[in-house]
Amino acid sequence: MAGWPLLRYTARTLLAAWFILSGLFLLSRAHTDRNTFLQNSTEGNGRRLSASDQAHTTQQLLQRYGLDVPLFYVTLGSAAATGHISWRWHGSRNQYHQWFRQLLAGDLGTSYRDGAPVTEVLSQSLSYTLPLTLLAALGSMGLTLALVLWLSHRPRWRSAWLSGLHVLRALPLFLLATCLLLLLANPDVLAWFPTFGLGLEVEEVAWWQQPGRLLYFLTLPTLSLVLVTVPGLVVQLNGALQHELEQPYIATARAKGASSIRVVRHHALRNALLPTVALLSELLPNLVAGATVVEVLFALPGMGRLLAESAAAQDYPVLLGAVGLVALVRVAAQVLADGLYRVLDPRIRTHA
Amino acid sequence: MSRVRVAGFGKRKVLASGWLAGILVAAFLAPTSIPTPDLLHTTQAPFQAGHWLGTDPQGLDVGVSLLQGSRTVVLSSVPAAILTLLLGAVLGSAAGFWRNRALTTVARVAVAVLVAGLGLLFLPQLLAFPLLGSMLLVAAGALMYWPLRRAAWAQRSVAVPLDSLLMGAVNLLDSIPILILVIGVAAMQRPSATGTIALLALTCWTTAARIMRTTTLQIAARPYVEAARMVGLTNFQLLRRHIWPNTWPLLALQLPLTVAALIGLETTLSFLGVGFSPDIPSWGKLLSTVRQAPTAWWLALWPGLALAGTIVSLHSLAGLGANRSDVTK
Repeated sequence: MAGWPLLRYTARTLLAAWFILSGLFLLSRAHTDRNTFLQNSTEGNGRRLSASDQAHTTQQLLQRYGLDVPLFYVTLGSAAATGHISWRWHGSRNQYHQWFRQLLAGDLGTSYRDGAPVTEVLSQSLSYTLPLTLLAALGSMGLTLALVLWLSHRPRWRSAWLSGLHVLRALPLFLLATCLLLLLANPDVLAWFPTFGLGLEVEEVAWWQQPGRLLYFLTLPTLSLVLVTVPGLVVQLNGALQHELEQPYIATARAKGASSIRVVRHHALRNALLPTVALLSELLPNLVAGATVVEVLFALPGMGRLLAESAAAQDYPVLLGAVGLVALVRVAAQVLADGLYRVLDPRIRTHA
Repeated sequence: MSRVRVAGFGKRKVLASGWLAGILVAAFLAPTSIPTPDLLHTTQAPFQAGHWLGTDPQGLDVGVSLLQGSRTVVLSSVPAAILTLLLGAVLGSAAGFWRNRALTTVARVAVAVLVAGLGLLFLPQLLAFPLLGSMLLVAAGALMYWPLRRAAWAQRSVAVPLDSLLMGAVNLLDSIPILILVIGVAAMQRPSATGTIALLALTCWTTAARIMRTTTLQIAARPYVEAARMVGLTNFQLLRRHIWPNTWPLLALQLPLTVAALIGLETTLSFLGVGFSPDIPSWGKLLSTVRQAPTAWWLALWPGLALAGTIVSLHSLAGLGANRSDVTK
């Protein structure tokens, strides 16, 4: 029984993702102007072609990107001869059908910009984004736990810290990241960290130095992501922990003679974590969205920057692939949160 | 102790309202013309005659850009927030009030399906002759409703799953982070200023709708609403006179928070340079110029202060409202 809600959730999210991707696909293809597309694609070709050759090239290009067939199963078209507008049925020979069939087979098409397969482009950029977001997720969870446990023993500091965190939570990510960049990676102030890149471009880095170097270069991007996500988590977890500490079982634990540290860590924290785990399914997709900003600012060749750049260059296949991947991240985060629920709450396990 | 706290809140409220009033005044004082760059003084440090807040790498005065950015904030984020809340309020309270039991008759559903189907099928003709076509459609609907009006089977009631429909739409929008959704849609075609407002409102209404749905569900279950229903008030009278007066304060509380969230989203998008027309001045765009001149701290400091001040002021106003509503409860 316990598997059903998760299955239903996954199905619902996948359905939503299909809906959004289809909408974006139809919008993008409807906006792809054939003439400008052809002009951009043949721009680099300096040779003058004869009219027949040009028509041939045009046909080949349109066919290569799948633009030579109608957009959807039915389109509202006008017959050339009479100028009369009518519905026209195209059957399965249309762009949407072809795109969706390829999508189901795992083929996301080719990039408009450089003709590379989208899956390749995505997996390449994912190898940079994955360390960043995972580091940020682990960092923010660890920092949240540490901060909440620290605050639980210092009630006098709590309100000051919480109001500070409220201010921090209100600020947009790009502002915080710019501040960090200007303060900690600036030769005029403190040049502790590099401004951009990943540090793997230099030849003389030995393989055993690479993880350390990667960590060093990822510090500032990760720190800015952590700073944005931690306040919300701390406010939530702190509230839940204070609520749990007022419950009768805490009095029992104290009466047994448990130390205050043991009461918090052993008895209250586990129950307080349950509502916070629900936030976890939001955390990962939000980190990916935040990676867009951070990667643009710190010039990291990851997925977020790919998304922003493909949006700016109107490279729709890459854009659609990236948006679809974010939806998948959300499903994965939900599965993870569900697993964590079971680890934390034995009652769910016994019902399963 | 409590008196000190109240005094502190009062001071903070005055500060926050003062700051926001300043932004409002700046928005109306800002020059509307596109400023001419001063190419002799590019990337000039602040506190020098002529350009008190410095200039950016294109030679544009930072002070003027700040003023114009505040107008963008007032004229795009505030209308977008109001639209967002209105949309969320209407959808949320309708779903919370009728839930999945909004009643209609078989006859009405049949007529609606018929008219919609005919309209789609003859869309080309409808586009060619809009006036005649729509009159014919209405006539067809009336013609169908006339015989069904008396038939017993057609007068049986059918439930419209308003609530499920709304929650489906909310889940649809929430399945992808708003920033990525807006980037994706805005990439298709750079929206105009109005289009941007519409896009933001259409993607951000889910929070307001959730809140309104929950409170309407709670209020509609109270005994006094049941009593008013027994007296014979219609649904709209119930909603307008007995439910909205109790739900709109929550929405009013959401206004500063929504404005703050939309300012954050709008400046982030301009910072990324995605989706917005590049000639709309914005604090986010001003902040992004610091990437071209990393040593020019004034390019980040002034817009950063303006942005942080505005967002924190809005949040502290909302926090105050929350405390006050708790007290009156």
